[in-house]
Amino acid sequence: MTEPKKIKEICAQFKRIIDEPERAVQPAQGEKPAPVIGFLPTDVPEELIHASGAQPCGLVSYDGTWVSRADAHLQTWACSLSRCTLGMALAGKLDYLNGLIIPHICDTTRMVSGIWKQNRPYDFMEDYILPRQVHRPSAGGYLTGELNRLKKRLEEFTGRSVTDKDLQQSIRLYNGNRAMLRKLYQMHGRRPDLLSNLDVYSAIKSSMLIPKEQHNTMLGELLAALEQADREIPAVENGGRVKVVLTGKVWEPPVLMEILDQSGVVCVADDLCTGYRYIANDVAESGDPVAALADRQLKRPPSPCFVNRERDRLKYLVETVGESGAAGVIFLHLKFCETENYDYPLLRDALSAANIPNIRVEIEIGNVSQGQISTRIQAFVEMLGGGEIYGSQPAL
Amino acid sequence: MAASQPFKTAGLLKELMARYYEQGSRAREQGTPVVWVTAVSPVELVYAAGLFPYYPENFGALAAARKVADKISMSAEERGFFADLCGYARCGLGDAYAREHPVGKIVPPDLLFCCNTQCGSLQKWFETSAGLYRAPYFLLDAPLIENEPTGLIKNYFVEQLEEAINFFEVATKTPFSFDRLEEVLALSNEACRLWNEILDMAALKPAPFGFFDACFHMAPIVTWRGTKEAVMYYLALKDELENRLSKKIYAVQEERFKIYWDHIPVWPRLRWFSDLFAEHGALVAVSQYTHSWAYQFDLTRPLESLAENYSEGFSNRGFESRMQLKINLMKKYRVDGFALFSNRSCKPTAFGLYDKRNTISERTGLPGIVFEADMSDLRYFSEEQVRNKFKIFFEQLT
Repeated sequence: MTEPKKIKEICAQFKRIIDEPERAVQPAQGEKPAPVIGFLPTDVPEELIHASGAQPCGLVSYDGTWVSRADAHLQTWACSLSRCTLGMALAGKLDYLNGLIIPHICDTTRMVSGIWKQNRPYDFMEDYILPRQVHRPSAGGYLTGELNRLKKRLEEFTGRSVTDKDLQQSIRLYNGNRAMLRKLYQMHGRRPDLLSNLDVYSAIKSSMLIPKEQHNTMLGELLAALEQADREIPAVENGGRVKVVLTGKVWEPPVLMEILDQSGVVCVADDLCTGYRYIANDVAESGDPVAALADRQLKRPPSPCFVNRERDRLKYLVETVGESGAAGVIFLHLKFCETENYDYPLLRDALSAANIPNIRVEIEIGNVSQGQISTRIQAFVEMLGGGEIYGSQPAL
Repeated sequence: MAASQPFKTAGLLKELMARYYEQGSRAREQGTPVVWVTAVSPVELVYAAGLFPYYPENFGALAAARKVADKISMSAEERGFFADLCGYARCGLGDAYAREHPVGKIVPPDLLFCCNTQCGSLQKWFETSAGLYRAPYFLLDAPLIENEPTGLIKNYFVEQLEEAINFFEVATKTPFSFDRLEEVLALSNEACRLWNEILDMAALKPAPFGFFDACFHMAPIVTWRGTKEAVMYYLALKDELENRLSKKIYAVQEERFKIYWDHIPVWPRLRWFSDLFAEHGALVAVSQYTHSWAYQFDLTRPLESLAENYSEGFSNRGFESRMQLKINLMKKYRVDGFALFSNRSCKPTAFGLYDKRNTISERTGLPGIVFEADMSDLRYFSEEQVRNKFKIFFEQLT
């Protein structure tokens, strides 16, 4: 098989996992099935779940058909992400789960947990109650305590006690996955002709769905093929492509990445929960592993969900644009996402003051006008001086 | 209000609140830093530190009650803040940009002190304001208590109270006085005790006082809590209510039903709702909202006690516990039905109400409804829809 063909094939596998997560999750259970514990975005410590013998599974593949299924339980002015996930659960689409962990990152996640427990409880229902200030000393102690609480609950559920060694092993596995994904991300920035936006973001999201062991094998093969192709195939003239930073929560629906690809956008940095935020930093492999997990959480890139007086999101975004050499920023905002909506005006003004062109694209799962988004993004790309060779209408 | 005669203490309230706002505008001139605080936060620390606590939520409620919240919000919306954000927050942010100030100008903060037990909206509103006004910001973080209170959360809260004291010391360049804190806590205890005795009078049938009256008289328990003024005010109000009882002056003429309301009022339609209930001989007797200020502090262990009172209140509890509190209040006040307000501005109080309505009816046998509106923004209020919903509700009572 030629290298480009192999690259295409593995990327198509990632895409299939996202398209049909229930199929991807079930065969992975093997003879003695490990319980599947789902989690909502973002920041859930999967290493703990893995070390307890369960299989973590991110609820990050959304079928917009089920959004309104939640209407009798959750107001329609909740974000479509929460409505869709709850709707899918109510429709029985997530019945492959044995458990669920909901991280408290906003008022909606804080409240949806109780609704879920009333209407579709799994055997294991837990909340991950994160500190929402991350810069003062008190945050570390509390978070370590919360992680130990969660660890104990997982141990009770799976019946397997988690030793430091177990947890360190899981941490190494996850660090390995993140390192490879970061490599892939860089490769995409350098060689978008070999690896599209959809390819790299599908790789990240699929790693939240299937066992990391399996994902690492796939990533290893993909990286080897890419490195060889990078050596053998000269880079295609990049005319018309523009580098952009994405900021927001999730890249939904996936067709959005196809629109970006067809519009000549190359995403070179982002802070998305199902993007670079997931792989940005690692967990220390020595010392108390639970404290190390807490430390990683507190050192993640700034997010609108957490107050961080030491690391300003505004400054961070402007710096990220500079470091990545991006020409502009695309705000990818979920309708009704409060945390982003509060930050937006000041972020937009800071970018504009730094002469960084930016655009806001509002998305709603189950209710997306592809044509409209496509037109807006193409206009933005043209403004940035790109898009000449991609000027024709994408065949969507 | 629903009362057949105006309250004498209304004049005192007016005077007290005017004094409060005046202090706010004067504080800076006198060298007292203005601290923005949230309604359910340990303001006792702020008073004890000798700082002036300013409640931007109160500003929002005031603008809403005077029916200008939408107008002030527009200035924020023009800047890109979305119309689906909390109405109070849009009002506060809007006033910072606005040229006209129909309810006076919001007092800019020297410091911001936010407790997120009520919601994450306050956390973001205050954070955004800290950016706008370039003032130091302290978030007192309250992890949600899903089941029973835990030592983990309490210790975290206490540790943060110590960090907050340090935050205030840096601002005042004065060591924090625990003796002063004890005095403030004692005053809070006294005001909260009186306030709750007053609220309890709504359980009498007929009652001299109901929820809509409480909404009118609650400003001092929020803003003056921890001072002599609050104690004095509620002594006077209690006295007047006892006097009314002896003269048989009741909140609703020919009271037939008592109703539980959840949570906050629809401020620009307070009178409209009050009249709607009165027409049917119904008194809205109780809401968890006005019961938020029911603190009792143990002066011998002030920080632990502050942590228990502020982090373990209903606004920081999970689904079951919130529902149980509603049921307890319904039983205590012997209500005949309940109305739950799905408040567009408030996800934490609104999300879960659809399920709670069914479960509460199952457990209590009481009729109840959920209605949609916004506490301050009339753009989210459909009079016809709400009236029809309540029409069916009142039919169920009889």
